[in-house]
Amino acid sequence: MDGCSFAVPAGKISGLIGPNGSGKTTTFNMLTGIIPPDDGQVIYRGEDLAGLKPYEVFARGITRTFQITRVFREMTVLENMLSVTGLSVPDEVARSRAEELIAFVNLGHLRAEYGGRLSYGQQKLLEFARALMTDPDLILLDEPAAGVNRTLLQHLLDQIHRLQERGKTIVIVEHDMNVIMNHCEWIFVMDYGVKIAEGPPAAIQGSERVLDAYFGRRRV
Amino acid sequence: MKQHEHIRNLALLAVVGLALAFAPGVLSVYLRSFLLFTMMYVVLALSWNIISGFTGYTSFGHVAFYGIGAYACAILVADYGWHWLPTLGVGAVVAGTVAVVLGYPVLRLKGPYFAIAMLGAAEGTRVIATVWDSLTHGGLGISLPSADTSFETYYAMLTLMVLTVLVAYRVGHSRFGVRLNAIREDEVAAEALGVNATRYKLAAFVLSAIFPAVAGGIQAYKVLYIDPPSVFFVQITIAMALMSMLGGKGTVIGPIVGAVLLYTVQELTWVNFPTAHLIAYGLFIVVIARFMPRGLMGLAIDRGWVRKGMVH
Repeated sequence: MDGCSFAVPAGKISGLIGPNGSGKTTTFNMLTGIIPPDDGQVIYRGEDLAGLKPYEVFARGITRTFQITRVFREMTVLENMLSVTGLSVPDEVARSRAEELIAFVNLGHLRAEYGGRLSYGQQKLLEFARALMTDPDLILLDEPAAGVNRTLLQHLLDQIHRLQERGKTIVIVEHDMNVIMNHCEWIFVMDYGVKIAEGPPAAIQGSERVLDAYFGRRRV
Repeated sequence: MKQHEHIRNLALLAVVGLALAFAPGVLSVYLRSFLLFTMMYVVLALSWNIISGFTGYTSFGHVAFYGIGAYACAILVADYGWHWLPTLGVGAVVAGTVAVVLGYPVLRLKGPYFAIAMLGAAEGTRVIATVWDSLTHGGLGISLPSADTSFETYYAMLTLMVLTVLVAYRVGHSRFGVRLNAIREDEVAAEALGVNATRYKLAAFVLSAIFPAVAGGIQAYKVLYIDPPSVFFVQITIAMALMSMLGGKGTVIGPIVGAVLLYTVQELTWVNFPTAHLIAYGLFIVVIARFMPRGLMGLAIDRGWVRKGMVH
């Protein structure tokens, strides 16, 4: 990233798009503490989170999924869910929440299956449910539609909208423009580590700069 | 796991414990010693499994803690006239402290680097025991006052084994254990989901150090003589690892089964093939590794005899 700066609107679904290698996942990694920024700030509710460890960022109510699923493969679906809650949370509360979310993503019949034996789409759902265990306020979804069939994707998008209706802030990195244009209220566009555009879907769709970035078309 | 399953498992442990408690009265000296060593290896394998099985940090140097415990007992009994039982607590505290101090730097290393660093740590501990002769008597070793310690040490080892099984069981079936497993599976993802990996790894490392230290102390009092090569013997670490892997590392019952089976095979091959027992023993290990790479518990899970996961 190179001097990239943006403000995510609270309580909305935002999209973060750009060509491959533009820095989208790197942005998520910096926001969540996996990569510390060399410079700059990550302001969340008035606090600068830059330089915090990932678990410290998580404790402030920010969670994420990964571009390539990172479910815990040799642990069951239930164990994947239970791994998220701190030990101070009573067992019954953690289990109840886990079961509720497993049902939320329709994985109840697979609760005793290893994460690594789920289909790719099911792993996406598991990762999504796992990210919600502690009822975070900011949810970063990295390519939630990749490798997911249309039916499952619609189910996932329905759940995302339900979360937004409950006041959650969601940022989605995606290459699927149908998802971005039809479900995001605000879109940021990156190219070579720099934000090149932001705005509502209609403005982004008509942006010459965005088209240049994706298609490398010479401006006439 | 349901409540009645926990009760069943604890009842089974109680039955085995009681049987072992009454065994010395009816067994020969050899078999009593055999049982003591078997129990010791159960303790060692279960302890190794906490850091290497549950947490995924494979240690090639856990004998260091065993040796620390042995020396704590030997020094305090032989040179300061302590009763041997409290020396076991001292050994555990010293080993735990060493684990904290050592753990901070080495647990930042991953995979083979951690394994080799631990091997180095174990060798370093052996060298310290050899050269610090004002404390450890160096290469001469330490002789403890002569006594018949076979019954005391047997019951001490039995108590230690039951305690270790209970702790390993609790860890394995708890959310603490689930979080250790998450670190093993994907430490980056685990941290992103709120797990303070440093703290959890350190806790697992310390827990895995104190029981071998106590076992080392009991062994020192049993054999009444120790020196650096005998208590910092790398084969002890190899045995811990093999037994845990044979039974199924990352499970609770796996290291127990592995320790009992492998030590029994080791003894039988030594008794029946005295000139070739290492070859026979080695062949046994190769066959297991070839056909059951995830150990006996892995096979049982794949066949559906045992449920997947530790928490249900």
